[in-house]
Amino acid sequence: MSQAQALARHQQRVEELCAASIRALSAQVDLHFRGRRLHRGQKVLPLFAPHLHPALESADFASFRGAADGLALRLRLSDGALHQELCPSDPVARLVFELLEQFRVEALVPDTMPGVRRNLHHCFNTWAQAFHDGGLTDGVSGMLMFAVAQVCRARVTNEQILEQFEDMLESARGDLSGLIGAQLAVLRRARHEQAHYAVHALAIAAAVAGRLQDLVAQAGQSQASGENDAVSAFALLMDIQGELTERFATAVSGRSRVLEAAGGGYQVFTTAYDSQRDAASLVRKDLRLEYRERLDKRIREQGINLMRLSRELRALLALPAIDGWDGGQEEGQIDGRALAQLVVSPTERRLFRLQRVEPRADCVVTFLIDCSGSMKQHIETLAVLLDVFVRALELAGVSSEILGFTTGAWNGGRAHKDWLAGGRPEHPGRLNEVCHMVFKDADTAWRRARPDIAAMLKADLFREGVDGEAVQWASSRLYARTEERKLLVVVSDGSPMDSATNLANDGHYLDHHLRDVVQAIESGGRIGIYGLGVGLDLSPYYSRSHVLDLEMATANQLLREIAMLIGSRAQR
Amino acid sequence: MTPLTEQQPTLQLSVREVFGIDSDLTVPAFKERDEHVPEIDPVYRFNADVTLAILAGFSRDRRVMVQGLHGTGKSTHVEQVAARLNWPCVRVNLDGHISRLDLVGKDAVVLKDGQQVTEFQPGIVPWALERPVALVFDEYDAGRPDVMFVIQRVLERDGKFTLMDQNRVLRPHPYFRLFATANTVGLGNLNGLYHGAQKLNHAQIDRWNIVASLNYLPADEEAAIVLARVPSMDNDKGRALVRSMVAVADLTRKGFAAGDMSTLMSPRTVITWAENVEIFQDTARAFRLSFVNKCDEAERSIVAEYFQRCFDLELGESYALGGQVA
Repeated sequence: MSQAQALARHQQRVEELCAASIRALSAQVDLHFRGRRLHRGQKVLPLFAPHLHPALESADFASFRGAADGLALRLRLSDGALHQELCPSDPVARLVFELLEQFRVEALVPDTMPGVRRNLHHCFNTWAQAFHDGGLTDGVSGMLMFAVAQVCRARVTNEQILEQFEDMLESARGDLSGLIGAQLAVLRRARHEQAHYAVHALAIAAAVAGRLQDLVAQAGQSQASGENDAVSAFALLMDIQGELTERFATAVSGRSRVLEAAGGGYQVFTTAYDSQRDAASLVRKDLRLEYRERLDKRIREQGINLMRLSRELRALLALPAIDGWDGGQEEGQIDGRALAQLVVSPTERRLFRLQRVEPRADCVVTFLIDCSGSMKQHIETLAVLLDVFVRALELAGVSSEILGFTTGAWNGGRAHKDWLAGGRPEHPGRLNEVCHMVFKDADTAWRRARPDIAAMLKADLFREGVDGEAVQWASSRLYARTEERKLLVVVSDGSPMDSATNLANDGHYLDHHLRDVVQAIESGGRIGIYGLGVGLDLSPYYSRSHVLDLEMATANQLLREIAMLIGSRAQR
Repeated sequence: MTPLTEQQPTLQLSVREVFGIDSDLTVPAFKERDEHVPEIDPVYRFNADVTLAILAGFSRDRRVMVQGLHGTGKSTHVEQVAARLNWPCVRVNLDGHISRLDLVGKDAVVLKDGQQVTEFQPGIVPWALERPVALVFDEYDAGRPDVMFVIQRVLERDGKFTLMDQNRVLRPHPYFRLFATANTVGLGNLNGLYHGAQKLNHAQIDRWNIVASLNYLPADEEAAIVLARVPSMDNDKGRALVRSMVAVADLTRKGFAAGDMSTLMSPRTVITWAENVEIFQDTARAFRLSFVNKCDEAERSIVAEYFQRCFDLELGESYALGGQVA
């Protein structure tokens, strides 16, 4: 788990830096990574070329830099619409055409940026090495693609092929020069003009696709495995997305056919068993006090700098506001009360008063905690963090809420029984008893809410989770508040999960709804919503999210990270 | 030497010759150099658009405001044009505490024949108004909008100026000129860079005849400016270095526009950097001292990425040096 968490954090850091570089290099503002894919706003961008997607565990940072630079150059120097229009429909030809266009922009690196050139070179060669080491060049078709990529890149960018590949490519090169030699010769000269370049690139793509077909046909006659070999080579080249979701700790998310087909949108089978409960009604008093002692002990052990955190939060969340007058000033407006003083001592100069400006936080922060079964292992650390954070917020003059969501029972509970009794109507929608919990509401001070916050530690509250509805509930509570700035932080370690709902509808019913809800709130703009993933990348749901590594980092660092997330500038 | 109030521009200079701008315009210029004429900076490079706007201000009596981000050389631009025309030029730095009395004038106690008497001392506006002087309001948007109404009438071309304290109406000297420079266009501190910038009254902004915008220059021009300032770098190696430095600066500006950075490198920072390279003989160290240390700690690793792109070197803050998976 800790390895996975560390990896998720590494990924996030890398993606942050790469996205920042892409934004600067391409001069386009609204680019960011979500679920390892580059997005513009809410839209996912094409993959462009296979070597631009290094594997997270194995690739070094320089490869990611190269990939980011490649993407940035592509976005900046290539006309996407023109490229789309010219793109051939045959998959192999399209792949070659994509590669060639990518090589074109990589050849256009300005002289002022030697680092970019080196990153691109490194990234491509690392990819080529992995391709080769993976045994993909053993088959004829894999070898052909490899040779095309190597030879074309060397020609277009005028960079040398690596020594270790030189001998290997000897024969393939001769073969290629007969096939596409004439086109290759003009490619570099045409690199400044996309349309002109595309004519030659298309010719190369068509020739390579034709040659591959011949090879596959030949192989089909001589040995049956030829086809498989070609297929596997392209699986690596083209189907990158399929592999990604399994490899990394990214929240798995998909579209739900049932939800899309349903005219009325998200449905709830019955709300009869839903409940909203206060912590006090969930856990009896002496148990809450016992939990509180446990929590206090852990907080003491952490050595948390509360005052510093609250100062940081105040700097992040407060705005200057006028708050009364300061008298006895040497300049400003004349203070009538001081005039008598002037009569008595004419040299007195402190007769003025100035308006006092104090930072004031007109802000409310809600923490919504996923109380699904898997969160049980993290809750103690999380409770420590939230307790301290809420206290620091209170010191900074910010009100806060701690809410939780779970279900009233496992496997659908009474709602599921009703559904069975009703003859299992098709696509019933959400099928469980939703339970929303209030550990601390915004009007209760931290001091009074202390035992209630500790109620989080009770293990049997943790069942399943219907995130979408919980986010709706938490946001409706926020909308009712008068504070100008409303922030909602959703803490979760997984996608929405409710087995009965998933069985009765389809696997993505709940997470599709969560995404819709979050997107509606994000585009509404009145609430800032943030995803705080516990060892999980929540970026598929939330455009602003952060991965917490509870085991690796110290409490002070984690608190600082939460504060940074809340204070982060809006990402477009 | 003729007294300032009686001086007149007698020469006509060709813009092409003096400023190296491809234009057939000629501009009036003074023969004598008054003490108020700024020093000529021989290596100063003029931006064609802004220079033409300022020259229109001088030759056709237009009120010109130059807007631009910091460190782009707005005020210097006006000053250097004036220097080449031998036009007396007075810069006034506005701030939030400049009051009406400072601009118009006030009664002050002066010693006359050994007697203390109160006498009206004209402020900078009436003083300049009666002379062939280019008055430049620097940081125009730092002035309080209610105070700036003092110059409302002067902004009109032949607007007279009434001294209420003295019941006197001043007619502007025919060669009096008015310029202003500002970071914002009077809409306040929108991007968080310019703390203290005021929202200006748009009835007043409207009276400026020409608003020239001097934002960051094309990379080649900026590199040329840096080389002009730091001539020791004007060799093949130095030129390549400066071009990469300008490329880093450009990335920080793009990053600023995207919200990744809260500071950006102005041309002035690039010049400082180049000068510091001369001192320390180490590009990375000079970069740290002239820019990285001005950035928020959280942003330094991003700056390190920009630096790596343009120099193929790692900065100490780089994630590549310390951020591998544990």
